Amino acid sequence: MTTRRRLLLHVGTPKTGTSYLQDVLHRNRRTLAAAGISYPADRFDAHFLAALDLMRLPWGGLETEAIGAWDRLAEQVRAHHGTSIISHEIFAAASRSQVGRALRDLGHGDGTEIHVVLSVRDLVRQIPAEWQENVKHRSSISYARFLRQVQDPSREGRIASWFWSVQEVPDILNRWGHDLPPEHVHLVTVPPPGGAPEVLWKRFSQAFGLDGLDLDLEAERVNPSLGVPETALIRRINAAANRQLPPADYRPLVRELLAHQTLSQRVGSPRLALPPEVHPWVRELEDSWVGEIRERGYDVIGDLADLTGSPPPATWADPDSPSETQVASAAVDAIKALLLENGRLQQEAAGLRGDLDTAHRDLERSYLRPTYRLREKLVRGLQTSRLGRGALKGYRLARGRSSRSA
Amino acid sequence: MTVSGERRAWGWVAHLREGGTTPWAAWHGEGDREGVYLPGAQQLELLRRLHLASREGRSQPSPRLVERVIDASAPGRGTPDLELVGATDESSFGPRPVDPADLAAAELTRVATSLLAEDLVAAGAPPVPEASFVRPWRTRYRMVGDPWLADPARAALTGRGRPPGGRGSVVLVLGRDLATMLTDAWTSRCFDEGSLPWREWLDPFTVGPRVPPRIDLERAAATWARRLGPARVRVVLDPTILPRLVGVRRALPQAPDLAADAVDLARQVAAVLGLLVLPPLRRDLLRGTLLPRLVDAPGPRLLLPAEHAAWATQRAERMRDRLLRAGYAVHGDLDLLVPRPETVAPAGASGPTEAGVLALAVRLLLDETQEAPR
Repeated sequence: MTTRRRLLLHVGTPKTGTSYLQDVLHRNRRTLAAAGISYPADRFDAHFLAALDLMRLPWGGLETEAIGAWDRLAEQVRAHHGTSIISHEIFAAASRSQVGRALRDLGHGDGTEIHVVLSVRDLVRQIPAEWQENVKHRSSISYARFLRQVQDPSREGRIASWFWSVQEVPDILNRWGHDLPPEHVHLVTVPPPGGAPEVLWKRFSQAFGLDGLDLDLEAERVNPSLGVPETALIRRINAAANRQLPPADYRPLVRELLAHQTLSQRVGSPRLALPPEVHPWVRELEDSWVGEIRERGYDVIGDLADLTGSPPPATWADPDSPSETQVASAAVDAIKALLLENGRLQQEAAGLRGDLDTAHRDLERSYLRPTYRLREKLVRGLQTSRLGRGALKGYRLARGRSSRSA
Repeated sequence: MTVSGERRAWGWVAHLREGGTTPWAAWHGEGDREGVYLPGAQQLELLRRLHLASREGRSQPSPRLVERVIDASAPGRGTPDLELVGATDESSFGPRPVDPADLAAAELTRVATSLLAEDLVAAGAPPVPEASFVRPWRTRYRMVGDPWLADPARAALTGRGRPPGGRGSVVLVLGRDLATMLTDAWTSRCFDEGSLPWREWLDPFTVGPRVPPRIDLERAAATWARRLGPARVRVVLDPTILPRLVGVRRALPQAPDLAADAVDLARQVAAVLGLLVLPPLRRDLLRGTLLPRLVDAPGPRLLLPAEHAAWATQRAERMRDRLLRAGYAVHGDLDLLVPRPETVAPAGASGPTEAGVLALAVRLLLDETQEAPR
C-alpha cells in the first residue's frame, strides 16, 4: 500500500516560537518517524541552510554550508511516503519565483499535498523584536531610525524591505498561498502576553498533527529576548567592534555568549516596547490584516484577535537613551562572562599545550632510538654523492612510495 | 487583479518573450495567462534591456536565456520581486507596483548577477597550469605585498616550475603607488570572496591610521624580517626588475587593468557564487573564467577619490619613511609609493556606476554560450 505524500511547510514568521518548535521537532525525530512523520534534518539548522540556498541569501559566511541544501531537502521530502515537516522562518521572505520553485521541487502538482503553516504575532511585539534581531545580527542602527525606515511607505533599503518581507502576513500568504486552496493554508496565532506558555505549543501541535505523540518538550534552543539596557549595550558593542570582529567570532561571542547566555538572563530590566506614538499606526495595520485574513478563509488555529497588540505601557523606556546605570550594570555582567569564558579557554589551551608537549616528547624519544639515528646517518651520507642519491632513488622506487618528505 | 490589467501584463510578457522592446508604459496589447504568477518587474525589464542591447550589435538572447531571466529571482536581501503598475488592483499589502522603466539599474543588475553566477558554474574553472616538474636549481623566493601584482606573477612562476618557498628564499614585497594599491586591494577582494561596495569599503580606512592589511608593505616586510632577518626582505617597486629577481628572462604577466564597472560586477557576482560553490572554486571561477571576459570591458578604471588623496599621500610618505628607516633593500624608488595626480580621480568622479555595471552584465549575458547551468 502506498501512503500519500503530505508536506507541512512552516514558513514563518520570525519571533513566533519558531526556534522552540524546530528544537522540539529535531530532538524528537525518531518519535516522529515512528509515527510516520519525517522531519528531514541531520542538524538543527538544516532547514535554515536549505532556505539560504533556495533564496540565494548570504548570511555572514554560513552560506558556504548551504550549498545544495535545498535540493537535498526537497529530495528527502519527495522520497518520504507519508507526512513531512519543513520549518524555518526566513522562508517567509521568498519571492514569488522562489516560492514557485520550492513548491515545484517539493512535488506540488505531482502527488504531494502541500500545506503552508504561518505562525503570526501582533506587530506591537514584532516590531521591537525585529529591531532586537537586527542588533543581535551586528547592526548598530538606532531604534528611532529603524522605526522610521519601517514606517516609510516606500520600503526602500535593506531593513525595511526585509522587515516587511518576513512580517507582512497578508503579503507572505499571497506569495506562499496563491497556488494552494485556502484550507491548505494554516495560521497559528501567538497568544497575547501573560498567557499560559503551553498554549502556543498546543496550537503548533494541532497545526502539525502532533497531538497524542509522546514528545520531549524540554527546550534546548530558544531565541531569548533582551531588555532595553542589554539591547543598547549590544548595539554599542556592534558599533565599536564590528570592523574588527569577523562573523565567525561574532556569533559565538556576542550573539551566543553575551546576548543569549548572559544578558537574556538578567531580570528586572525594562522590556523593549513600541513607542506610544507608533501604536495608532500599528493598530490600523493590524486591523486591516485581520480583516483581510478573515475574508480569505484560511484555517486559523488560535484567535485572529491575537493579532491585535496590547495598548502602550504606562511607562516606556527608550533604548536609544537608556539608563546609563542599567547599561553599566549589564556591561559588568558581560565583562564577567567574557572573563569566565577567557579563563575557560585558557585552561583548555593549557590542557592542549600539555598534550602537545607530551606528543613532542614521545616523538623525540622515538627519534633518539639507535636504529633511527643509524638510518638518518646513512641517508645523509648517501645524499652527498651522485651514486648514493641514485641508490636512494632506486631503493625508494623498489619500496613503492616516495619518502623524500620524511 | 483587473482582467484588462492582467491581460495587458501577460501580453507584455509574450511580447518580451518574442524579442519586443516596447516599454511597459507604452504597451497596450493583451495576452493570455501563461504561468502561475506574473514575472516580476525587474525580470521583465532586464529582458527588455537584453533585447535592446541585442539590437545594438550584440547577439540575440537565446530562448533558454529568455526563460531563465523570466524565472530568475534577485539574490540576497533587497527589494523583492515587484509587480507591474496597472497590472493589478491597488492592494494595501506588499511592495508598491512599479513602472519597470523607473527601476534603478542596480535592481536589474541583482537579477543578472544570479544568472551570471550560474553561467560561471556551468562553464567551470580552467585548469590551473601546473609545471611537469619543479626546477631544483630555481631561485628561491616568496612574493608578498600588493596581491593584484603578486598573484599573477606567482601563478606564472609556479606554472614554469618555479613555485615560491624553499630554503633560503628571499621575500619580495611588491608595491606601487598607494592610490593604485588601494584599488588593487579592493579589486583583489572582489575577485576572491567579494567585498563591500567600493566607498563603503574604502572610506572607513581613510579616517584611521592604517592602510588595508593586504597592501600594508611595511607590516608585510616587518613580519618576514622577524622570521628571516631584514637582509632577506626586498621591496620591489620597479616591475621591470622582478623577472631578474626571481631568476627568469621572460617577462612576467602584468596585473590586469580593469574598468571600475567590471570590478564591481565581479564583486556582485562573487556574492552569489558564494551560495553556489565553495570558496576555492569561487576564486578560480572569478579569476580564471570571469576575469578574462572582463579585461576588455569599456569604462574608466578605478581611481582613488580626490577627497582621500591627502590621506593617501600622508600614509604613503609614512610608509616610505618607515621602509627606508628599516633598511630593506629597495628595487625602484620609494617615492613611487606616493600617489601621483593621474592615480587620483578628478573631484566628484570615481568608482563604478550602476548604469555601467548593468550594461556590462547585459553584455556578458548576451555573450554567454548559454549552455545549461548546473
